[in-house]
Amino acid sequence: MERDTLEVDVLIVGGGPAGLSAALRLAALQRRDGGEPLAVAVLEKSRQSGSHMLSGAVLDPSALDELLPDWKTRGAPVETLVRDERIYYLTERSQLRSPYTPPGLRNHGNYIISLNRFVRWLSEQAEADGADIFTGFAGTEVLYEGDRVVGVRTGDRGIDKHGERKGTFEPGVDIKAAVTIFADGVRGNLTKTLIRKLGLDGPTPQTYAIGIKELWEIPPDRVPPGRVVHTMGYPLRNEEFGGGFIYALPKGRLALGFVVGLDYRDPLFDPHMAFQRFKQHPLVSAMLAGGQMTRYGAKALPEGGWHAIPRCHVDGALIIGDAAGFMNSMRLKGIHLAMKSGICAADTAFDAVRAGDVSVSKLATFQRLVNGGSLRRELYPVRNVHQAFGAGLFAGGACFVLAPLTGGWWPRGLLSNEAGHERMTRLDRYYRTERPDPDDASNAVKVDRTVTFDKLTNVHYSGTRHDEDQPVHLLVADTDVCRTRCREEYGNPCVRFCPAHVYEMVDDGTGDGRRLQINASNCVHCKTCDIMDPYQIIDWVPPEGGGGPEYEGM
Amino acid sequence: MVLVIAEQRDGVLHRASWEAIVAAQQTGQPVQVAVAGVSLASVAAELAAAEIEVVLTVEHPALESYTPDGFVAVFADVVTGTQPDLVFLPHTYQTREFAPKLAVRLGRSLITDCIAVKQRDDRLAFVRPMFQGKFVADVAPTGPAPHFASFQIGAFRPDAVTRGATAADIRAFDLTLDAGAIRQTVEPPFQEAKQAVDLTQAERIVAVGRGIKAQEHIVLVETLAAALGAEVAASRPICDSGWLPMDRQIGSSGQTVSPKLYLALGISGAIQHLVGMKGARTIVAINKDAEAPIFEVADFGIVGDLFEVVPALISALAADA
Repeated sequence: MERDTLEVDVLIVGGGPAGLSAALRLAALQRRDGGEPLAVAVLEKSRQSGSHMLSGAVLDPSALDELLPDWKTRGAPVETLVRDERIYYLTERSQLRSPYTPPGLRNHGNYIISLNRFVRWLSEQAEADGADIFTGFAGTEVLYEGDRVVGVRTGDRGIDKHGERKGTFEPGVDIKAAVTIFADGVRGNLTKTLIRKLGLDGPTPQTYAIGIKELWEIPPDRVPPGRVVHTMGYPLRNEEFGGGFIYALPKGRLALGFVVGLDYRDPLFDPHMAFQRFKQHPLVSAMLAGGQMTRYGAKALPEGGWHAIPRCHVDGALIIGDAAGFMNSMRLKGIHLAMKSGICAADTAFDAVRAGDVSVSKLATFQRLVNGGSLRRELYPVRNVHQAFGAGLFAGGACFVLAPLTGGWWPRGLLSNEAGHERMTRLDRYYRTERPDPDDASNAVKVDRTVTFDKLTNVHYSGTRHDEDQPVHLLVADTDVCRTRCREEYGNPCVRFCPAHVYEMVDDGTGDGRRLQINASNCVHCKTCDIMDPYQIIDWVPPEGGGGPEYEGM
Repeated sequence: MVLVIAEQRDGVLHRASWEAIVAAQQTGQPVQVAVAGVSLASVAAELAAAEIEVVLTVEHPALESYTPDGFVAVFADVVTGTQPDLVFLPHTYQTREFAPKLAVRLGRSLITDCIAVKQRDDRLAFVRPMFQGKFVADVAPTGPAPHFASFQIGAFRPDAVTRGATAADIRAFDLTLDAGAIRQTVEPPFQEAKQAVDLTQAERIVAVGRGIKAQEHIVLVETLAAALGAEVAASRPICDSGWLPMDRQIGSSGQTVSPKLYLALGISGAIQHLVGMKGARTIVAINKDAEAPIFEVADFGIVGDLFEVVPALISALAADA
């Protein structure tokens, strides 16, 4: 097949905060040094910049200050300064307000933002600086020469659901680059294959959480803009890691969400149901009463911390942002770290391209910049926090509070070294004597379609669209496992951990049997299935470019 | 005066053109209708039945097939020549392409995908959905007239058009068009799906959902549809399973329809489906689950087993005939 080839100096795969920061920094270096301009291209799978961006989000502006010191005059869309912070421990019916805010959660000087709007603005800045941003194109394959990364192939367009070419068929393009910067986000589909092929895993496996979020419109005088609320406890049990967040934006807009560690044990647990229970709690439902949900979304986040970061430099390529796991799960922040890693990657790539040496030893500059700067300074001291939560809420809480005093040290033997999905326990071992119905979530609630919603209704508010006539982009290696082994052993947890009603076990027509139905066009690209499937047989690959959620204002 | 730009292809009027005329009539202002193409006599005669001032035919060999350059050029002349206060268009694919360009060419504002026009204070406001129908906004155009607006298909009922006592005048618009300035060359129309069905034109629809349980029961639905003279449609799970072709899917990832009668069989009424059919005039729902959201939009609801109700309907219709 004839493919177009495009050659650039630096290819950035993923137009999120990490990738766009790299693009902006490359432009700044170019201005500083002059000379033949570097050709920089950014690939982004969403149709518009920012459409797949989802975060809380509270922004620590440190990296933005470094990248674009004049961001205020450039009109960066920050919604409000954080003015007031509260931490609650929730029980089913009441709450206890923490008198103490751990240093990690102090947000003085930080801003509440919509990551969607912030990234759209970043992309406008990058385009004005000469970067080519190709929206609507997903990278589907890493191109190698030997073990050296030489670029990325984008997905074919116009393939029908049976894999046949439609009239609109267009083959993907090979984009060749001296340096490829992978910024394809949490559990990035290309970074995943890169780590596997080149054996780049960090000392501990990456662990993840899923964040589920809604935007609401509520009466404007109910919650003062700039208030940041975090909760622990209910509806989670001690064995589950996570909590809720509520960020009050101006004009009666409220961002609220719930984060659950993707290392829960109960196979019948449903993170989306936990979020519904959170909204039913009196503290939260009082804020939402009479309001309207306007947006919904979900996304996984990397929580493994410092020791889970893979080697990020290889021949011809770097890995940054959430793809690498630059996220501080103790501060619940990663945007500034993603941006900072983009800055470091740009500094590294710029020198390497100019020197004509993109070998692994030259690109190791990235590791030195990470180690010598704010990334390590921030991440190393909290390296054990999430793992300690794996040992239980109280151990985790102790580590969380004590980390600033101990420098993050924690007895090694207490730390879990398992990937999150390995902690999910088989039904017979978790429930022992009962025989629970595998079609019911253990934390199910009846939704009222006012404050609580079913997943399908929620998906509508994610704005998700895909061309229906394309191959399913959730590759399940063996669907026989679903109806036989998995149904028996785990009760098909995909039906519950997917926040978008992609996976369904439907009647197979034989009477009592079930088969897996994949509603691929509901997918919000959160990657949870790829992460949490106990058999690791689900492979998330990008659908046709441009498909996915539309996280306007999220 | 409101100028409506009607749409036709090969002498067949797009039904949504009538909806734009209804919108125009509702403003209370005089209405003129322009239509472009070749051999427009019969389309013009059809349009002239409405209570309007005049039908302007815009004929030129280069307009035989739609091109954005050609349509922008001639309608820019028509608008300049007729000096309307408002220009209304049906929100078709064609409009989506050329109307923004036309508005920009003339330096005028365009409000797209409107569902209603209303008087607000002393000016007209255009009502359009936002956030996928979660909100509706009243949008008032600013800047000099004419203001352009396009109307969502199904927002008005074509049969609500006021007819004139006598046929309106038909006048050929005197135009000059430099065919060489049209940059697009037209290829034969591309049809992705074989036998694509345009359910938006159907007056009656029988739609089926998961309650039908198995593919072999689809014939029951087809029998009922035939008895009613209706088109068969479905919610997504049915088309996903391949029990009916994808072009029969109603909803956010399928077609949006506004028939006179919409009969929903075994459809729970997920919001993705409701957005595609809530504009139907009469909605009849049959579902076993009394709490199914479909009953919130239904005009008539039967809580019952479709395998009992549908055969009864079929035999009742047969008895009538």
